[in-house]
Amino acid sequence: MLGDSRKTQDVFHATLREAAVRAARGELPSEPFWLFRDARWRCLEATKSDLQPESVEMDEHDVASDAESQIQRLDPMQLAIWISAAPDPQRSALALFYLDEFDYQEILDIAELKVSELSRCLAKARRQLQAWLDSKFPQPSKV
Amino acid sequence: MKLLSSIRRQRSLLNCAPISARQLADRPMRLAISRADSSAEFIDQQNFDRAVARLVRLIPIPAESAEWFSGKNLGPTSKRSWKETLRNPAVLAISIAVAVIAGVFVFNFVSHLNDFPGSAPARKLLGVAASTRPLMLDPVNAEAGTLSDLFFMKHGLEHYDVPEEFADFGTIGCRVFEDDESRRIAQIWISEKRMQFFLFPAERDSKTGAVLRFSGWRYVHQEGWTGAVAEHSGVCFMAAIRGGDKDLEPYLAKPKE
Repeated sequence: MLGDSRKTQDVFHATLREAAVRAARGELPSEPFWLFRDARWRCLEATKSDLQPESVEMDEHDVASDAESQIQRLDPMQLAIWISAAPDPQRSALALFYLDEFDYQEILDIAELKVSELSRCLAKARRQLQAWLDSKFPQPSKV
Repeated sequence: MKLLSSIRRQRSLLNCAPISARQLADRPMRLAISRADSSAEFIDQQNFDRAVARLVRLIPIPAESAEWFSGKNLGPTSKRSWKETLRNPAVLAISIAVAVIAGVFVFNFVSHLNDFPGSAPARKLLGVAASTRPLMLDPVNAEAGTLSDLFFMKHGLEHYDVPEEFADFGTIGCRVFEDDESRRIAQIWISEKRMQFFLFPAERDSKTGAVLRFSGWRYVHQEGWTGAVAEHSGVCFMAAIRGGDKDLEPYLAKPKE
């Protein structure tokens, strides 16, 4: 979500520290995803002072049948930076969805979204990512 | 309108369709997936998502944070309260099993607490007493103490003597039989209170063959019957009566041990 290892480290430690303090006081919330929600809010706070993504209209392409081969050519850090540059809640939705650890209802819970919002975020992100992939790794037929 | 809304909702769910089967889907999600499962658009989306998820897994985690996940135990597991532990079905089942075993053990221990040499055959004979009818015995109208001679003369049984305490009781009948361990048992039916006497060989040490003696009167109980047993000259005498210890006590000259 942050695309910056130092900030990630800070948020991670701050989240764990807070969890440890609450546990020591016996104040751990009973709801299952409070730690993830807490971490998400810390990530959002940490990027508040950063340069914010411009609200520009990004190109969008339909998901291609050979997108898999384009994604394989992508560097993982490039993808991390691309996701971290997305505006929230799209960024949260992408980070949580592609972690592949939560089902959609859990993502709705953590990111505090509705199904339609999560759906829009993901659909839009796929199309934008495809457009980015097409610009980065143009397919011969599409040139 | 309703149809349009349903299609829109299904489309929304499909956009959030799980990447791997690990994420259990609820019923509406499963329904939406089953309807779109073979569509090229959905297959492309799933392939796209899987490829992105694979790449996300390759995003390096900061070394310091990764250390937290290298150990198997990330933190102390929450300590269960004793109430929660007790409610655990496995703990509950084991507790019940242990309680039953302990109960059986205690029952056996208590029931054998007053055991003495000869208590096992004595209990069996109380069962015989309960099932015996007068017709099964040879009619004998005499004093119980005089039957010693009869047992010796007719059956060759030495020291099958009725103790003094019961020697004066009038008999209705008697018999001699062998039990399932081929021990020769003398049984006497008494007219008073339908009491029965049994004379049987005392227990012997399995190695030395010596008689396992005990002193005084000992009580055994079985199926509502009570027997007072005494040993003398390698032969046990048991007076059996339907009832409890109190029914026999008045007949015993010596105090109960």
